[in-house]
Amino acid sequence: MKPENPMQSDEGLRQVLHQWKVDAPLPPRFQDQVWRRIERTEAEVQIPAWVLLWQRLSAALARPTLAVSYVTILLLTGLLAGYLQVRVTRAQADENMGARYVQLVDPFQNPHR
Amino acid sequence: MRRPILILVAGLALAVAAYCGVYYSGTANCCHMNHGKTPELAWLKQEFHLSDAEFKRITEMHEAYLSGCAERCRRIDQKNQEVAKLLAATNNVTPEIEKALTESALLRADCQTKMLQHFYNVSRTMPPEQGKRYLAWVQQQTVPSDSHSQMHH
Repeated sequence: MKPENPMQSDEGLRQVLHQWKVDAPLPPRFQDQVWRRIERTEAEVQIPAWVLLWQRLSAALARPTLAVSYVTILLLTGLLAGYLQVRVTRAQADENMGARYVQLVDPFQNPHR
Repeated sequence: MRRPILILVAGLALAVAAYCGVYYSGTANCCHMNHGKTPELAWLKQEFHLSDAEFKRITEMHEAYLSGCAERCRRIDQKNQEVAKLLAATNNVTPEIEKALTESALLRADCQTKMLQHFYNVSRTMPPEQGKRYLAWVQQQTVPSDSHSQMHH
């Protein structure tokens, strides 16, 4: 059976709900128990961090723009690291060769003389 | 599941390949120089931008200098042995010791003079700017810069 005016019916229900009072007392340590149940449920559904990380990573790499960016950044990192290492190696080799040349031409660099 | 792994590995492999490529191409010259007959002179050629003709001339000068240097070193060693013998035979500075020490000092001074002369000759063979740079560098490396007062500490 449909109510004649749904707006009136809602208003009536709201008034009834406002007047409704629960007198029954809560069981002892009710709040503690609720929190414990929430904690237990959370612990049961907790996913390991690495799985979460992998899921996020997979989702990110599934997007072509992010995948291309990832590969490009790694490529540039490799190039930059190689370039910096070349500079260090060259500087060391230069210093070493310079010292060897000086030792070759300067007899006083030999401690026995 | 396999595609992200493939992308991850491909990225890492590309980074390693890029690093190795840049590193080996950048240091190939150094390695090649190290395996030569006279890496020190090869370094000199590269460092002071010498032409082949300049390098050839400097190599000749270098070889001539080294053969003379070996002879001077032999004479210094001989004189050092003589001084050591004289010092062992007495407990005083005798006129012979004084004479031997003076001769030893003269030999060293001659050696140092020849070395400096060689540096000047080499620098003159280089292009002017490089020659100046070479001379400044080699003098800094070979001529003692300690002040006399520091020698007592």
